Amino acid sequence: MLRKSVTRRRLMKTGAGLAAMAAFGAPAILHAQARTLKITTWGGKWGEIMKGEVLPAFEKEHGCTVQADQAFPFVPKLQASPRNDPIYDVLHTNSNEQWKCVVEGLVVDKLDARAIPNLKDVYPYAVSDKIVGVSIFTSAIGLGYRTDKGLAKPTSWKDLADPKLAGQRGGYLIPVNSLGQAHLMMLGKIYGKGFDDLDAAYKALEALKPIKLYDFTGQMEKALLSAEVSVGVIHDSGIYRYDGTNQPVDFAIPSEGVIALEQVLNITPGTRVKELANAYIDYMLRPDVQKKLAEGVWYSPSNTKVKLDAKYDARLFNTPEKVAKLIQMDWKWYNERKDDIDLRVARILRG
Amino acid sequence: MDQTAAGQAGAASIHLDGVSKTYDGRVLAVDDVTLHVNPGEFFSLLGPSGCGKTTTLRMIAGFETVDRGRIHVGGQDITDMPVHKREMGMVFQSYALFPHRTVTENVAFGLRMRGLARAEIAERVRAALELVALTGFEDRRPGQLSGGQQQRVALARAIVIRPRVLLCDEPLGALDRKLRQQMQFELKQLQKELGLTLVFVTHDQDEALAMSDRIAVMNAGRIDQIGTPGEIYERPQTRFVADFIGEINLFDGEAHEGGFHLDGGRQLPAPVSSGRRRRVLAVRPEKVMFVEEGGSVFSGQIESVNFLGGYTLYRVVATGRRPILVKETNLSERRARAPGELVHLSWNPQDVVLFDH
Amino acid sequence: MSASARRRPDPVRIAYLAVNGAIVFFLIAPILIVGVFAVNPTPYISFPPTGFSLRWFEKFFTSPDFMNSLWLSLRVAVAVLVLSVLIGAMCALALVRGNLPGSRFLTAFFMSPLMLPAILTGLALFQLYLLSGVGRPVWGLVMGHTLVAVPYVLRTTLAVLHNFDRRVEEAAAILGASPIRVFFEVTLPLIRPGVIAGGIFAFIVSFDQFPISLFLVLPNSETLPVVLFNYMKFDLDGAIAAASMVSIVMALSVVIILEKLIGLKAYVKL
Repeated sequence: MLRKSVTRRRLMKTGAGLAAMAAFGAPAILHAQARTLKITTWGGKWGEIMKGEVLPAFEKEHGCTVQADQAFPFVPKLQASPRNDPIYDVLHTNSNEQWKCVVEGLVVDKLDARAIPNLKDVYPYAVSDKIVGVSIFTSAIGLGYRTDKGLAKPTSWKDLADPKLAGQRGGYLIPVNSLGQAHLMMLGKIYGKGFDDLDAAYKALEALKPIKLYDFTGQMEKALLSAEVSVGVIHDSGIYRYDGTNQPVDFAIPSEGVIALEQVLNITPGTRVKELANAYIDYMLRPDVQKKLAEGVWYSPSNTKVKLDAKYDARLFNTPEKVAKLIQMDWKWYNERKDDIDLRVARILRG
Repeated sequence: MDQTAAGQAGAASIHLDGVSKTYDGRVLAVDDVTLHVNPGEFFSLLGPSGCGKTTTLRMIAGFETVDRGRIHVGGQDITDMPVHKREMGMVFQSYALFPHRTVTENVAFGLRMRGLARAEIAERVRAALELVALTGFEDRRPGQLSGGQQQRVALARAIVIRPRVLLCDEPLGALDRKLRQQMQFELKQLQKELGLTLVFVTHDQDEALAMSDRIAVMNAGRIDQIGTPGEIYERPQTRFVADFIGEINLFDGEAHEGGFHLDGGRQLPAPVSSGRRRRVLAVRPEKVMFVEEGGSVFSGQIESVNFLGGYTLYRVVATGRRPILVKETNLSERRARAPGELVHLSWNPQDVVLFDH
Repeated sequence: MSASARRRPDPVRIAYLAVNGAIVFFLIAPILIVGVFAVNPTPYISFPPTGFSLRWFEKFFTSPDFMNSLWLSLRVAVAVLVLSVLIGAMCALALVRGNLPGSRFLTAFFMSPLMLPAILTGLALFQLYLLSGVGRPVWGLVMGHTLVAVPYVLRTTLAVLHNFDRRVEEAAAILGASPIRVFFEVTLPLIRPGVIAGGIFAFIVSFDQFPISLFLVLPNSETLPVVLFNYMKFDLDGAIAAASMVSIVMALSVVIILEKLIGLKAYVKL
């Protein structure tokens, strides 16, 4: 005690000493008292549950504060912030953006399994080679359709091309929406030699005209609800969320399989609260947290140990058999060609 | 007339001594102007646009700095005094009323700046508005007044502070002819009644001649002549003054002991000069007379006839020279002359002015 | 116009009215559609409306997210209004009256924030703030908005100053007003309409500002346009329309209040 005060008095005589104290002292104090975890997360119902229950519980458990950014665009903000003091510690995005980030070194390429014990309980797809980080949930992209138009329930992706649906089918603006991008790759598989058969995909896209195009999945939902389109590419949670509201819409799983729309968490290499970041990912994979969010927004949980209520259990992808129907896209491959594809697609859809 | 309410606090003299002003350090706008205005005098600066008359006025007001020379008002050197301390009144051509204030507020402004008591301000404003016949317009805004009314407000605003001198920059320039004549009369009347020292800038010779006690005619930044309206008109001292004021016939030639020799040999009626030198002979059109053939100086044909009410203006073409203007008063016994008629012209030697080129 | 001329249908006049009607419709239609959407009970646009309901307004006004962001947007907009009026008016006076060398260049320079896409301005400020370690405080957001709001005040004030008859100031000076009194008694009241018009622009620019706010808002304290944008990605329902209607009414009332309180007062004072 005595020594400390002497040291301090001596230090206070010089400005340099003060500066030194500030430089070394400040991070230590931050670490000890007010650790802040900066994350991104979705808005909407998901955001309500996160802010209402999930995050406060985490804060309490770890004695920290969580600063959750719900305002897009996440990736440009991360790109613009200093690498050694990134604006986020944990990045939550869809898989395609994680791939973009890992290429630029904005997120780590591999999570530390020892620091995140729950990783051992996830389905293989959640940590497959198509994923950077870990997919904590997934939705399934298939076909949403109206049940009041006398249409047979779609059974194949090819049903979208039914001539009866001219102008009544819905898709996405491919440059800005990953569902549209995934659908394009799916067209290559269905009508050509594989997901990477872009020529077949372009031809198939051409054949889908006239087609109504949307920016966000939310707009597709509203378009289906208002009967602006009769069949559209959409993820299951975008349809199931209206469960119990008597809307004449349903979700169809094409026989060729559904596309996984993964909710991926990953940490930034420059994070100053790495332990906390790992703890957060582990927390999000906990069965009770997974169950709460899965049933809140109709996302399929990644943790194999989650027991869902019957209603959700019947529809979500939570068994090895059902999970086998999920197709994961190679976003690294796609991102490398994105500019060319955007140009080509713009020409097709404009003409 | 309520002298206590709007009268002058003591009209001051104005002296300009060798005052010069250059713009951009090169163009001489005002070149070595020296003039003296007596207390209570109506003094006009007359000249074409760009002659430096407005710049001279603005230097007296303090809006322009003086590059060389000194300005004294009432014996005090004010050359470097800030505008707001000069105790002058000014009336602008554009009126420059405060558009966001009422007539009363406009007139009261200068009094308010002097920190006068409310009651005194109210009384002096009332008297000033009465003086310019604007009682009843107190709460109007400038935008709701006619041009003439606005000019009266500007006048009331300028005189209510009892200025040492009143400066007027083409104050009637924006008014139509009829209103203008009326305002000329009123302004002159007011100036006399209040005994104001007034410097009046105008490019209108008729206005200057009608109103002024004395006139300074300016040309290219310099004063050509200072004199009473009569002197300026009858005895112009330069060709510029002669030409600028009214109409005049000019003849180039040589003055000598015997009179004036027109270039080309003809002798013109003129006073005798000592020594020979090239001079200009000027004679006003109303001094030129129609005469019988024998006593004529020029003979020529009438080119045009302009009937102008009280008199008629003839243009007479004599061979080999510019048309000569002749102004003849319309008397009942005179017969009208017609274009094409051959006439003979002459004048009296004492009606001629001679000056250098 | 005589009575007979008025009775006869003039094809030019009809065309003129038709074009004007079309323009007015074009301007009003989006607001009408938003209005219909806002009171329509379904969570998607349906035409004709299926009924009348204030549930989206209720949702808007009872949501703490919306209310906090609305309140933040208002506070920021008021701060931006005050700052940009002060800065813009002073800049304009300096540019017109200051005899500054290169005042044309300076004018262009001060207008330049409008030339740059606002999204880049936002990104640049974001990086500047992060690199300089100040984080993303509300004053940083206010500064970002002020940057793009000042040119509006500058423009409107410059316009008034260019039409300004300086003889009015000279008249005040020779009547005994010192330069400072001339400014407060004459100059300021006369440029006030331009400054206020600019201030109204500044308020609206800030209140509706999206691209700059996008980067500069902190998580959990976002301005209304940012909240609306993100809300739209997850819950596209009538609350968006209700929020838009509230924004429109809000912006409109600020314009009207300012106009009534200060704008018109310039001519009816005393």
